[in-house]
Amino acid sequence: MSALYQRQRAFQILLLLPALLLLFTLTVYPLVDVIYHSFYDYDYIKGTKRFIGLENYHKLLGNRFFLRSVQNTVVFSVVATAAEVLLGLGLALLLGWPFRGRRYVIPLMIFPMMISTMVVSAIWRAWFHYDFGFLNFVLRSLGLGGVRWLFDPDLALFSIVLVDVWQWTPLAFLILLAGLQSIPQELYEAARVDGASGVSLFRHITLPLIRSHLLLATLLRTVDTFKLFDKVYALTGGGPGLATETISMHIYREGFKFFNLGAASAASVVMIGVVGALAAIYAWQILRRQAQ
Amino acid sequence: MVKLWKGIVVGLVVLAFVGGLGLGLAQEKVKLVIAGRDGVYGQALELASNLYMEENPDVDITLLKLPYASLYEKLVIALREKTGAYDVVMLDDVWATEFMSQGWLKDLEAMGFVADPDFVGKALAVGRYPYPDGRLYGVPFVGNVELFAYRKDLFAKYDLPRPETWLDVLEAAITIDLKEPEVKGIVFRGVKGNPIVTGFLPIFWAFGAEIIDEAGEPQVDSPQAIAALKFFLKLKRYAPEGVETYNASEVRDALQQGEVAIAIEVWPAWVPALDDPEVSKVVGKVEIIPAPGLITAPAPLIGIWLLGIAADAKQPGVALDFLKFISSAEIQKRLALEVGLPPTRTSIYRDEEVIAKYRWYPAQLEALEASKPRPRITQWAQVEAILGDYLQLALIGALSPEEALREANAKIAEALGG
Repeated sequence: MSALYQRQRAFQILLLLPALLLLFTLTVYPLVDVIYHSFYDYDYIKGTKRFIGLENYHKLLGNRFFLRSVQNTVVFSVVATAAEVLLGLGLALLLGWPFRGRRYVIPLMIFPMMISTMVVSAIWRAWFHYDFGFLNFVLRSLGLGGVRWLFDPDLALFSIVLVDVWQWTPLAFLILLAGLQSIPQELYEAARVDGASGVSLFRHITLPLIRSHLLLATLLRTVDTFKLFDKVYALTGGGPGLATETISMHIYREGFKFFNLGAASAASVVMIGVVGALAAIYAWQILRRQAQ
Repeated sequence: MVKLWKGIVVGLVVLAFVGGLGLGLAQEKVKLVIAGRDGVYGQALELASNLYMEENPDVDITLLKLPYASLYEKLVIALREKTGAYDVVMLDDVWATEFMSQGWLKDLEAMGFVADPDFVGKALAVGRYPYPDGRLYGVPFVGNVELFAYRKDLFAKYDLPRPETWLDVLEAAITIDLKEPEVKGIVFRGVKGNPIVTGFLPIFWAFGAEIIDEAGEPQVDSPQAIAALKFFLKLKRYAPEGVETYNASEVRDALQQGEVAIAIEVWPAWVPALDDPEVSKVVGKVEIIPAPGLITAPAPLIGIWLLGIAADAKQPGVALDFLKFISSAEIQKRLALEVGLPPTRTSIYRDEEVIAKYRWYPAQLEALEASKPRPRITQWAQVEAILGDYLQLALIGALSPEEALREANAKIAEALGG
């Protein structure tokens, strides 16, 4: 019996081995390599590498561009994720029930997330134009003044949030719609018989039963918004001033424009740490819920 | 009978195999891989590649057309790791010092390339290492130089002289901005990084400032540099709202749609559209000249694209032959006429057929001959990024010109020291 069990166990490990190897090659090795290089002054072009301990991290803490990029990334991530999940929930509640034309409305709703981000950015860049953009045209038609969407340092980051919300709310909507549709209708019917109102139904049935879907949507959008790069690259280039600098932009610049791999690695480790912590919190919440 | 059929079938199979092998050997072509840019430059490379393959049917060219940042990343990685992925490589002149000093490119003159005097001297010089008269590692392929554009109809209307100095430019911008309600005085690229630096450098140089002195020390906070930045901020008052976010497309649109009177920076590839009635409202109204001077003579910024041969090229002989072909006067003329590629040979700029198509070519040659390259240092990308960040902080008023340039200078010193 024991020998058979051992053979089965060995066979299971053998089957898992390719996947484990792939995981190691694509995830573990690069991660360890990045952490290792973050302690070096590594100029890839010259090929010079010198151990400098924590100096890269020390420099990051004294770098106003990096500190602002961390602040911008956190603000962007929190605001965009909250807006997308709340809007997605609203839309899912609105469109989650059968109605005429639903089969056309839902594909139309998810259309923005199927467009390439660079195309989305190009469209919005034109809409944001101060003199000739669509948004300011509408505002001026209503008798309001034009808004400095991309070049007001206090507004530029939120303009990018707007673009992200437009593009990615459909993802939250889809996840939450799936959650809503998995709730048995009998629960609502029973609650109604007991005299529950619409708000009570939402609070005591809908919300608890789609909690894991809400967490999943929040996790996916948090991780994705934290990596914000392409929209900033295409819309503002990180400006005006420091207003839209993000951690990804910082890493890209250090790594692929200057090829300072040590500095880029240190910034990457900071980013991995924050994203990893957030992912762990969400994953723990989801698993705890499932265990309950 | 069966044996006979078997014999025929076997015979046919053998014949087909031998014939196929022979055909395969006869058709085996030399593969040449070119890593180049996309857009107009890519079109020019493609046209030249097709012409070359017509003349050399034994050569098969694979052309990679890449965006700017992607080309740089791929070249750095491939050349440093000596992958032998590319034979001919296209490089921006600001990367040249880095690539040449690392030994990533072949010495073209040692291979037999003759740099004849028809090449514009300033364009050829950026292909040499050490600059300007060392060994030749890059053949100038695109004769890019920063030009200056102004609305000659509006200048004539308000009796403004052709701008010879930056003070003339400021005066004209103020006048037109005040008197023409629908037209802003001036436009430039204000996006941080390369765009704002490129627009600012001719002013910076005209004020007598230098980024790095002869000893290799950064000087971007010198009194001349601060005066240049203060002047730049004065110009901004007459620019469209949001010029901080203007990149090439916004500058081109503003000029083509007649919304601005002056563009302090236009590039040869942008100019033909100004005379195209399908996209331009200012056909024949825009004059193209070299950038003005001030304390020093005009110093337009040169931005040559070079073609070189990778040190680890698999087909260096064919690559050299291709470089001779594509840089010849005959092909340069075809590329200029058919694709609009700015040439690097003096004779093409003086060719009557070419001038008939591109009226600003004499001014472009004048600009090329007076031009100045960006500092020939290996860390230019970093220096440019730092300067670009701080210029924009000054442009939006987050830092004073003095603070911005002082901080930029300290950071540049650190980058150069590193």
